[in-house]
Amino acid sequence: MVTELNESNFDSFVEENKKVLIDCWAPWCGPCRRMGPIIEEIDAGEKDFAVAKLNTDENQAISVRFNINAIPTLLVFKDGLLVKTLVGLRPKDEIINAVNGA
Amino acid sequence: MEIDVVIIGAGPSGIQAAIHAARRKVSTVIIGKRSNSASAGAHIENYFGVVGPIDGIELLKNGIEQAVSFGAEFVEENVVSANREGKKFIIKTEGNKEYTAKAVIVATGISRVKLGIPGEKEFVGKGVSYCSVCDCNFFKGKSVAIIGDETEAAVSAELMTKYASQVYWITKEPKAVKSLVDRALLAGVIMKSAAPTEIRGTDKVNALVLEDGSEITLDGVFIELGAKSAADLVMDMDLMPEMDDTIKVDGKFATKIPGLFACGDVIGKPWQIARAVGQGCMAGLSAADFIKVTK
Repeated sequence: MVTELNESNFDSFVEENKKVLIDCWAPWCGPCRRMGPIIEEIDAGEKDFAVAKLNTDENQAISVRFNINAIPTLLVFKDGLLVKTLVGLRPKDEIINAVNGA
Repeated sequence: MEIDVVIIGAGPSGIQAAIHAARRKVSTVIIGKRSNSASAGAHIENYFGVVGPIDGIELLKNGIEQAVSFGAEFVEENVVSANREGKKFIIKTEGNKEYTAKAVIVATGISRVKLGIPGEKEFVGKGVSYCSVCDCNFFKGKSVAIIGDETEAAVSAELMTKYASQVYWITKEPKAVKSLVDRALLAGVIMKSAAPTEIRGTDKVNALVLEDGSEITLDGVFIELGAKSAADLVMDMDLMPEMDDTIKVDGKFATKIPGLFACGDVIGKPWQIARAVGQGCMAGLSAADFIKVTK
């Protein structure tokens, strides 16, 4: 299971892991439903970054903080800082390469 | 209405599927607007037996007449929703017609998603969105425009009135049914009959420029061209589309979902009428066989 983030654990998760990939989604969003299994696959595979999900509907303050206004959006954090934002559905390899290159 | 086979899409593939299904004596409904087919505006000269160039719309008109003569019913509307309930499929049209089908053939073709105007690409995720259902929540109390002529634009415009403070609908010629257009207008949508030419902004969208030179100050631009996409439709029937939005089928044009078939451009390239027609024939026969086996 991919870690679910919310207002209470978001900052600590980002700080405690060197590199983090966060899938920002909402249940009624078609492309998000397609992104979900891809993120789960990435999380289950071998990798040197942490993976988490953020429900933007339930955590609107975080969405505002990171200027999210389209989903799915992938956020990549390194050393606690946002270094990359990917908007829209992406294939698995492209996501992994983007995180590794960040 | 209870139907054996519902075909979504009235292009060459869907029409051929309707001809073959109807001739197998299963009740068949084909739903779609011929004018939305990529072949409608094409001049065809590479299709067997037709010495062209012939206007695609002529082929489509003749094809529909053929399908109807074999007993198929033709509904010239867009499908607005599809669902799977148990072993059956519930298909609803923009004109509020509802069909319960034992088999569905998706022959929607491919549709243009991008508008291709300056600023569109730059501001994706910064105010430009292709999914109002996904992103409506981010535009609470803001001013937005919906661009598109068809059902998705009409439905999106109405939806956005529940979130945004101001909703403009940019359409030169609304092609959605009148009831959907009226609902959007009744909900407070302001219609502008001019083509959009540019999306402007700095770090985020702040204006939409129209062909008459006027500029609308806003926060969001929702690009909703065409009807509900095949990817969205099949997901609502429990099937995951491929990454490139195509639908995966087997040699009988059946998907992983029992009773759900697909044919034509929506399953991949090359986008050729001859190929689409051959696949439509196969899908129509497969769907009819499925009905007979499950009866």
